[in-house]
Amino acid sequence: MSVQIQDPVAAAPTTAGRRGSRMGLVLSLTLVGLLLLLCIGLALSTETFLTEKNITNLLRQGSMVAIIAVGQTFVIITAGIDLSVGAVVGFCSVAVAWLMVHGFSIGASVMLTLFLGMAIGAFHGFGIVQLGLPPFIMTLASLTALRGIGLLVTNGATISGLPDGFTDFSRANFLGVPLLFWMVVVVAVPAYLLLQHSRWGRYLFAIGSNAEAARLTGVNVKVILYMAYMISATLAAFVGVLLAARIGIGNATQGEGWELQAIASSVIGGTSLFGAVGSIQGPLLGSFILTTINNGANLLNVNPFWQRIITGGLIIVIVYFDQLRRKRR
Amino acid sequence: MTDAVLLDAPLSRDAASPLLALQGLDKRFGATHALKAVDLAFMSGEIHAIVGENGAGKSTLIKLLTGVHRRSGGEILWEGRTVDLATPQDAIALGINAVHQEVVLCRHLSVAANLFLGDEATRFGLLRHGAMVRAGQAVLDDLGFALRADAMLSDLTIGQQQLVATARAATRGTRFLIFDEPTGYLTRQEATQLFALIRRLKAQGVTIVYISHRLEEVFELADRVSILRDGALVSTSPVAQTDEASLIRGMINRSVAQIHFKESVAFGAEILRVENLSGPGFRDVSLSVREGEIVGLYGLIGAGRSECVQTIFGRHAKTGGEIVWQGQPITVRNEADAIRRGMALVPESRRDQGLCLNLPVAHNLNLPIFDRLSRGLGLSWRAEREAADRQIRAMQIKAASREADAASLSGGNQQKIVVGKWLAHGAKLFIVDEPTVGVDVGTKVEIYRIFARLLREGAGIVLISSYLPEVYDLSDTLHVFRRGRLVASHAGPKVAQETILTEAIGV
Repeated sequence: MSVQIQDPVAAAPTTAGRRGSRMGLVLSLTLVGLLLLLCIGLALSTETFLTEKNITNLLRQGSMVAIIAVGQTFVIITAGIDLSVGAVVGFCSVAVAWLMVHGFSIGASVMLTLFLGMAIGAFHGFGIVQLGLPPFIMTLASLTALRGIGLLVTNGATISGLPDGFTDFSRANFLGVPLLFWMVVVVAVPAYLLLQHSRWGRYLFAIGSNAEAARLTGVNVKVILYMAYMISATLAAFVGVLLAARIGIGNATQGEGWELQAIASSVIGGTSLFGAVGSIQGPLLGSFILTTINNGANLLNVNPFWQRIITGGLIIVIVYFDQLRRKRR
Repeated sequence: MTDAVLLDAPLSRDAASPLLALQGLDKRFGATHALKAVDLAFMSGEIHAIVGENGAGKSTLIKLLTGVHRRSGGEILWEGRTVDLATPQDAIALGINAVHQEVVLCRHLSVAANLFLGDEATRFGLLRHGAMVRAGQAVLDDLGFALRADAMLSDLTIGQQQLVATARAATRGTRFLIFDEPTGYLTRQEATQLFALIRRLKAQGVTIVYISHRLEEVFELADRVSILRDGALVSTSPVAQTDEASLIRGMINRSVAQIHFKESVAFGAEILRVENLSGPGFRDVSLSVREGEIVGLYGLIGAGRSECVQTIFGRHAKTGGEIVWQGQPITVRNEADAIRRGMALVPESRRDQGLCLNLPVAHNLNLPIFDRLSRGLGLSWRAEREAADRQIRAMQIKAASREADAASLSGGNQQKIVVGKWLAHGAKLFIVDEPTVGVDVGTKVEIYRIFARLLREGAGIVLISSYLPEVYDLSDTLHVFRRGRLVASHAGPKVAQETILTEAIGV
């Protein structure tokens, strides 16, 4: 894979060299190890963990956060943040349900909802790039406003009576694996290609590292920022559709706090909130670790209030060790 | 709150003994030898001016005296005793303070709050706002500043803020006060007020170090003047026994002239011409750049050179005049537009504007050409590696590998990335802003070699430098800026460096 530089000047063989990518690999393996350890521990300590029903449930549950965590990661790599994703999930579950109840076909409803998500992302880009608002403020504002619009449209009620063809999707399996989990693959593969195998991915990292240098080197910083927020919001809209299918209703209050889970997943997966550090596998592993912990806590009959405390503590511990690792570099 | 505001500070008036003496003071930053065994004595109650070109070591000297940096060698004697000055607190404890050109105060607080920041009047742990405003007003009135102590600092002009900073230093029991280019942003009237205050502090026995490019101020104010050049002390003499011409001679260095070698390349077609260009910070500038030509822009910091090239590069909109690119009048909408047309900017601040420090060398080098390393939507990792390795070899960039973070490289090698990333891009006009600041001599030579290569390949270079020997030796055409105007242009047979420095300072 790696072609060593043969030039005597350039190829001083030190360990500092490929440390960047190697550290990413070390973190990924650590996270995989942690996930396996969790699964083995739960399999031994409970009888219910390693059942088909539970694993399927876990995969379905984790998939949704995993997808918004991937979108969130694109934004965080640019040294931004998207606090609105949970609200977009709830709002778009309402949107897709409303469209279907009002006679749109399933396909048209889904497509329109995804476009709606894209438009929300473009609005974030507009506020951040054109109006110069800090990402934190812009997305916090739309978090609040979107919840409001969703409640206004539905009068605070739940939209139900969705077509069976739509809700069946969330229960279906393909090759024995829930379709919802396949959706993670459908999102993650293009996301990986975009981030690691395209010039736009390189630009995202460059902006997160030093937006001024990127701009002076000819990178169209504005367009790339628009792209990042549109990806995040579109993926959140997609999750809104999946959630509506899973719970069979559209409700504006759904997805509460998911933005924090998405950010936590991304950060556990090694994304730096200072920008320019992040991957696709990181948030995927991070979200399934969080989901497994919650799942295990349920099975072990741990008080759900404790689950929140454990999750918070875990974020501090993992990110602290990650900071130590970065400082040593 | 300091009670002894100004008038009743009992200070030593023994003018014969130095308050502060430097013996062989030395400072290195990595490969850069910023201060070379400087011996200096500051007498009690004197105004001691220090002059020198940008990069002569004046700022380093201030930082050592105020405890911002720690010396690499030599001794600092305070009233004859060795002191360490390892931290800013050490310096403040002795009574050493500095007033900087850029005001370092809290813009969101009132004048009084700034005056007493860190030394607030309190009762039962609560602030006594009224008392501080009254005491602050007394200080300002006493100094003869027409300012209100309860005004917000941000409502003041830069000049007024500068006066507040000086008043703040004056209220602190200061015995040794350093002024670093204090009149840079002041109006003549504000400067007069400042000078009156400085004389008054001197009369109270405060030792003043006054650093300025404006030689007329040195002669107006100072008792003695020292010249620094390339980090070394050239001379110290009473102001009465020197004149502007001999100061300027002392400030210019010829010893490194041989480093600034330059191949002569035949000039080709005109690449860029600007006619009567005006923009933020400069006005009415006309110049042109041809293939194979280095056009130097010299001037003091803040003279408008950087602003001028930033406007050419599309950073700011021009407010007048015309930019002609390869024969066509153009409007440069933004930086991306400039780059597309074939301009490249090597910015002044490598760390803030030039590099993505926590990204790999390869990523930095390829940033301008990722579109060319892509086929369709995808990026070829292999093309990326090969392009990076080619640059690393061509530029002799010393890095552990192409995957090493840019931050892990030395300053000189970082600078090679900033210049080198444009080689593959194939720009036609290179705007190079202070390319050799903080770079050792060996790397300087390599950077000049890169310039030579660019010229041979038919590019033109606009070189901005505050280091006169560099622009003087490298430029085919040299333009001198002063206070936003292009005041002189020299092509062909060279005028003396003294003339150019005189034009830039405007004595």
